[in-house]
Amino acid sequence: MGRTIIIGLDGVPFGLLKDLADRGVMPNTKGIISDGTFRKMFSSLPEVSSVAWSSIITGKNPAEHGIFGFTEFPQNTYRLSFPNFNDLKTPAFWETNHSKRHIVINVPSTYPAHELNGVLVAGFVALDLEKATYPNSMLEVLKNLNYATDVDSSKAHESIELFLKDLKRTNEARIAVYRELWKEEWDTFMFVFTGTDRLMHFLWDAYEDPDNEFHEEFSSYFRRIDEVIGEIASKINENDTFLMLSDHGFEKLEKDVYVNRILKKAGFLKLKNGERIDFSHIDYGTKAFALDPARIYVNLEGKYPRGSVKPEDKESVIKGVEKLFEDLKENNQKVIKRIYRKEEIYKGPYFDMAPDLVLLGSKGFNLKAGLTSERIFSKGIFTGKHSWDDAFLLVNRKNCESLIPENPNVCDVTNIINLLTERESSK
Amino acid sequence: MTKFHNSDCTCWNCPAINLAGKVDFRACGQSALKFEKKQDETGDSHIMAECKRRPELGLFDPTSITFEECPEWRETQYGYLLKNMRIMILGMDGYLGWTLALWLGKLGCHVSGIDNFSRRSWVAERGSHTIVPISDMTERLHAAKEVLGLNINFRKINILDRELLKEFIEEVKPEAIVHYGECPSAPYSMIDFEHAAYVQKNNVIGTLGLLFTMHEVVPEASLIKLGTMGEYGTPLTGRPIFEGMFPANAVLKWNNREWSMGGELTPRDPVSFYHCSKAQDTFNVYEACKYWWLRSYDVMQGVIYGVYTDHLAADPRLRTRYDIDEAFGTVINRYVAQAVIGFPLTLYGKGEQIRGFIGLEDAMQCITRLIAKPPEPGQYDVVNQMSGYCSMRKLAETVKKIGEKDFGLKIEIQRVENPRVEADRHPFEPIFNKLPDEFGFVQSDMLEKEIHRMFALLTRPEIKKRIEEKEHVILPKTWWSGEKKEVERLELIKNNNHAVKKNGKAVNIN
Repeated sequence: MGRTIIIGLDGVPFGLLKDLADRGVMPNTKGIISDGTFRKMFSSLPEVSSVAWSSIITGKNPAEHGIFGFTEFPQNTYRLSFPNFNDLKTPAFWETNHSKRHIVINVPSTYPAHELNGVLVAGFVALDLEKATYPNSMLEVLKNLNYATDVDSSKAHESIELFLKDLKRTNEARIAVYRELWKEEWDTFMFVFTGTDRLMHFLWDAYEDPDNEFHEEFSSYFRRIDEVIGEIASKINENDTFLMLSDHGFEKLEKDVYVNRILKKAGFLKLKNGERIDFSHIDYGTKAFALDPARIYVNLEGKYPRGSVKPEDKESVIKGVEKLFEDLKENNQKVIKRIYRKEEIYKGPYFDMAPDLVLLGSKGFNLKAGLTSERIFSKGIFTGKHSWDDAFLLVNRKNCESLIPENPNVCDVTNIINLLTERESSK
Repeated sequence: MTKFHNSDCTCWNCPAINLAGKVDFRACGQSALKFEKKQDETGDSHIMAECKRRPELGLFDPTSITFEECPEWRETQYGYLLKNMRIMILGMDGYLGWTLALWLGKLGCHVSGIDNFSRRSWVAERGSHTIVPISDMTERLHAAKEVLGLNINFRKINILDRELLKEFIEEVKPEAIVHYGECPSAPYSMIDFEHAAYVQKNNVIGTLGLLFTMHEVVPEASLIKLGTMGEYGTPLTGRPIFEGMFPANAVLKWNNREWSMGGELTPRDPVSFYHCSKAQDTFNVYEACKYWWLRSYDVMQGVIYGVYTDHLAADPRLRTRYDIDEAFGTVINRYVAQAVIGFPLTLYGKGEQIRGFIGLEDAMQCITRLIAKPPEPGQYDVVNQMSGYCSMRKLAETVKKIGEKDFGLKIEIQRVENPRVEADRHPFEPIFNKLPDEFGFVQSDMLEKEIHRMFALLTRPEIKKRIEEKEHVILPKTWWSGEKKEVERLELIKNNNHAVKKNGKAVNIN
């Protein structure tokens, strides 16, 4: 019986992987591409890790698994909370098949760790390593290996060098953990590199510019990951199914766009005064507000504490917001590529929790929902941003056309894995 | 709904929040505004926390739930208080510690405490005893259970025994720690080198060890640390004695240049080696808050007096101690005892020293209100805990008036040599607005009432006898110069009018 190995590369776009493979930075990956099936994959909407990975591990869309973004308001509040694994409404694939043993390392949004047949070390956001680890006996192993869930991104604000050092240290500890857990008995091994996302946020410019002082550092980080990919690939058997994938893509960040600022300026959002403005300051008269990155909710009466839109007026508010963002331009460029209504993209029992609209930015425009920006457009320290349509999926087999859709989506991953393993076991 | 002083505090202030590892502890700042270091992958920054009491909340923004909204905080007469709040009292066998244990226990808190009974030994060493007899701790705990229904978790631990203290803190996981576990005597610290070194070691190293332990075990707990108004001294320039830090609009002028002094620690001018230990504590606590995001209120307490709370009076076995010797007796308490046995009330030097004072019940109320409104992570703040101030001479006259009028005693006041090095006539303008303005502290008009209660208790024959037994320890013998001799009388003085200032306004307490 073959095993299943899944390697995740958080945020790595199809184009970048192909480029690094072609340029010899990732020779092992190039080999797998040559011998396998390599596709662009669509991320979730919105294209953030918590939503996309939740879809990857459940095979469901957000209206079925209940994770719509990095932040959420609990029912009838404006209280910012951060959904985690406890909020996932459908089981992850390792929770549906108890007869098999699963090793799951660093999958985002799996904190706090739940009991499973196997081992789970949760990925970001995981604030307490003890709660991030199942079984508890693994904790000592992780501590001995100096394991940290995430790199300390705040270091990048002080020094890119220090950030890179921490990024590498975190990565090496993670690699050590994978090697340790590889020795266990298992049927499924899922291992995600998340430093890639952090690296690309801060150093996308270094990737694009060969003269950038950190260009080589950027490449060497991927070179190291490729070494590990090669190491893993060398250990798999002929009847094992081996997949590599990312949850979303990446591209150059030209400008940050503050969606709530736009809503406020246009009169859709009213905020109470205060020393520290947060979402609890949403006031009466608010018609719509955004949660990150650009999920827009109509402030309906009965649904929110200071709901100010009657159900019969909802459609006109939605139309108003659509018009506002359709018309939004910066230097004659359209800022919003597409506006999705919830009915177009979500289907499932948690449909009511879904945002009424999801905005997708045009190339280079990074949509944000922070409340404190004084400006609509600005540019921070990040040089890279998420993209929706160029995540990737790579399978170590050819002739998978019948099993992998032409334009796969993150929701298709579990189904693809099932089809691949079924085909393998029927051989 | 009643608005309390802590209604709008949020989980950010709450000790049930779990922040360790979720925030950037290297960053320096004192408010949520500066704390937004944890960035999500979109680059937006958030403060994230979990609640130890309500894990079902998951990860959330701790500034988004107020005490008023949180079911774990329940209404009491002193504001919202955490249900079954775990409070540890260091120095629980002392005058304040025992009183507070009963007080908080009756408010529904889960009280724990440590003591090594040093206070009993120090007083015995000075040849004295508590004139109000007190039970041993076993009996106290038994009576607290029997009379008040309280389960108090006590351990005999020396604060310098860091290992045992840490073990107990790990076991209890207190949400607030009230630190009364210091030697509180200026004269005791001035006896000789050994006593000075002992006081400083017990106080400074004890507190430093506590800070390290809190950092390691309960970084979210608030530390209510007893300081003293004596840390400030009495600046002869007449500059107001601010509450620990200069106010935002304070300005330093020099050579035609100006600097804002807002937020800087005000100068300390301690008046004994004991007061030096308190000033050093201040710096250590201040730094620990800065380095480790601990949170603390430094309570600059005025001279304490009094003998009564409902709980102390509920049973003779529940009484708190009452000292009258030169080292451990506080001034009003000592005056009343002197008056009862016809020993002239003693003023040092001119007797014009002005001090802040606060009654026992008011002090308990203040501490409760501070516990109820914990500082933010990293916040060090200071309150001047006093309900009024006046000169020693006027206090003596008040005691004399009540003793003569209500108890038929003949009371004299004398001036004696001042064994201390201090100004015995000086300006004094303490600022003590924070507790009433920010913590809802309402002073009881209790000075005369409490003095009356003290007379009522101390004139009981069995207590009067215990005062008479220790008459010889009342007059000071410890000179700041190092000399050891009893002070001599300078003058037996006549009565005149007096006034006490409350909240900065002169109020006649007749």
